[in-house]
Amino acid sequence: MPRIDADLKLDFKDVLLRPKRSSLKSRSEVDLERTFTFRNSKQTYSGIPIIVANMDTVGTFDMAVVMSQHSMFTAIHKHYTLDDWKLFAANHPECLQHVAVSSGSGKNDLEKMSSILEAIPQVKFICLDVANGLFGTFCGIRETRRAKFPEHTIMAGNVVTGEMVEELILSGADIIKVGVGPGSVCTTRTKTGVGYPQLSAVIECADSAHGLKGHIISDGGCTCPGDVAKAFGGGADFVMLGGMFSGHTECAGELIERNGQKLKLFYGMSSDTAMKKHVGGVAEYRASEGKTVEVPYKGDVENTILDILGGLRSTCTYVGAAKLKELSRRTTFIRVTQQHSTLFS
Amino acid sequence: MPHIDIDVKLDFKDVLLRPKRSTLKSRSEVDLTRSFAFRNSKQMYTGIPIIAANMDTVGTFEMAKVLCKFSLFTAVHKHYSLEQWKEFASQNPDCLEHLAASSGTGSSDFEQLEQILEAIPQVKYICLDVANGYSEHFVEFVKDVRKCFPKHTIMAGNVVTGEMVEELILSGADIIKVGIGPGSVCTTRKKTGVGYPQLSAVMECADAAHGLKGHIISVRPKGRGCQTSGLSAVHGSFDRGGSGLLGSCQLEVGSWDIAERAWEIHAVPTVLLTLQDGGCSCPGDVAKAFGAGADFVMLGGMLAGHSESGGELIERDGKKYKLFYGMSSEIAMKKYAGGVADYRASEGKTVQVPFKGDVEHTIRDILGGIRSTCTYVGAAKLKELSRRTTFIRVTQQVNPIFSDVS
Repeated sequence: MPRIDADLKLDFKDVLLRPKRSSLKSRSEVDLERTFTFRNSKQTYSGIPIIVANMDTVGTFDMAVVMSQHSMFTAIHKHYTLDDWKLFAANHPECLQHVAVSSGSGKNDLEKMSSILEAIPQVKFICLDVANGLFGTFCGIRETRRAKFPEHTIMAGNVVTGEMVEELILSGADIIKVGVGPGSVCTTRTKTGVGYPQLSAVIECADSAHGLKGHIISDGGCTCPGDVAKAFGGGADFVMLGGMFSGHTECAGELIERNGQKLKLFYGMSSDTAMKKHVGGVAEYRASEGKTVEVPYKGDVENTILDILGGLRSTCTYVGAAKLKELSRRTTFIRVTQQHSTLFS
Repeated sequence: MPHIDIDVKLDFKDVLLRPKRSTLKSRSEVDLTRSFAFRNSKQMYTGIPIIAANMDTVGTFEMAKVLCKFSLFTAVHKHYSLEQWKEFASQNPDCLEHLAASSGTGSSDFEQLEQILEAIPQVKYICLDVANGYSEHFVEFVKDVRKCFPKHTIMAGNVVTGEMVEELILSGADIIKVGIGPGSVCTTRKKTGVGYPQLSAVMECADAAHGLKGHIISVRPKGRGCQTSGLSAVHGSFDRGGSGLLGSCQLEVGSWDIAERAWEIHAVPTVLLTLQDGGCSCPGDVAKAFGAGADFVMLGGMLAGHSESGGELIERDGKKYKLFYGMSSEIAMKKYAGGVADYRASEGKTVQVPFKGDVEHTIRDILGGIRSTCTYVGAAKLKELSRRTTFIRVTQQVNPIFSDVS
């Protein structure tokens, strides 16, 4: 007999934050920077804990340059060569503290990552992304640790339950990526039926991680600045965004013009497009689990960044949090059936 | 760990009003006028408690001229100069009792408010507006305004929860504006994730506001009256229609009878009022807001797009439009604050609404709708509507089959 979990799991759209009494006079007083010391690497990091996803459309060097000006973070996608990295490091040394090198669990990936980290020692973060299950993730973490990077901070995922978070932290990861299938170009839920509502996943995983002095990233599912605020309110230490950063000047890919409309390509990392580009096609035994979309061109990412940070500051003043760190302690979620007025949408 | 409130909070679209037996012969018998005595200003007011919002596209003098003919109220936006106010006051002395002057918490706003109220003593209402009614700063501001104007009736907001309604009333406000993010051109929920479904907010805030003066009338339809079936016999003609068949309905009848009796016992003038702001997209929503316990209902989007609304008439592809935007939108911030500051995001949108002609038709539509609501639930007066209200929860409001056509 299958077991049914009777508790209702929640998504961002199912809740709103309840406003609370606040002594803040203006949203300009809100401090969005956080400082973390990671459990296994023992490294300390300060910055605004929003991360550009390591997808090859958004996790670009161009994006990293703008993000680092706001002390935000970029997980650089894994398809740049060692030479690309060296050039970037030489031109933008100030960015290096705010970027991570990505790798899958394959041997080639890990070797390339090693060579990048050796060549550019200022890069202190590793983002391990493994499509084929947790076993690969564990191997990736162990191998990375054993292979000469004990002091690098490792982000690893993706999981959605507390016990998996604990296992990953205990096996050597510092920051756990939380989210299976919530992304805008992810079709895992329709293709496999597997998934977990993102807000509940964040709340449960944050609890497990923080118990061990580990950290989590809420990865996926944010469609607007309000969702980013809800992820932080739910206990996420970092929030990773893909779709919200897509369609900008700094994204990879050509600007397409059709019917007078400007568009940019955005696709999931398990989509047909990505697999054809990087693996030579979708293997027969698997289905593509991502889609490819053309998103309207949104101009420079700077405006989007200001919009997100402004929204977050406003959230903090509404619930009376002077610092982003206090947001989850000040959060009461109420359950709703409708988010906003549809009169003019 | 964040806290999760498990109760689902409701919006207007989640409920309908349950019809009840009614002795009213025609909707023309329904009296929509209400009289209030305010808690802190000690002033009295009589009129139909619907207010045009103090947005610069809606809260205009032109709107006020029409609304006051129907004894509706206008919260005039804060961007008129003292001279414009004086001119309006001298030409339209009859309207002044149905107007409020608005102010934010900035010192220049407040100075202008002082000048207007000094120059035109017939204006007795102040509408204090801040994006976030939860800041201690705003509470202090309300106290200061109360000190300066002991006899003016103060509307303040916006908030969405009972404890803040109480705090603002105790700080000197008379009427509390309820609602964060429900407005049609408000994007606060998208930009910040903060908000509260409007029907639940109204019910909870009305309860808190009315409770401060000892009223125990609750508009919650269920769960109170199990021991009171005897009372329904006392109020024999009242609302037993259709309910004899179902036990649960009888419970509802019982609870209304308790409310009825409580009302009779505590038959003092209503002193504390909840004013409900935004989120109404049709006359039915206005009726639901009153049914939930709102004393006043403030309208923005529904009054936009008329001849009396602010802004230019635009013509495109043979269709006429008017601009309508939230007061935190980019366009409003550019107009009045010189642009959106770097540290904040715009929290409003700008839309072009189809031109709807004179606002008089829309007013008649709204008032006709509420009269009809009252006859459906058997309320001879608007004042009785919330006592006669039973909300039922629904998942679909209207038949969508022709919604594309319109």
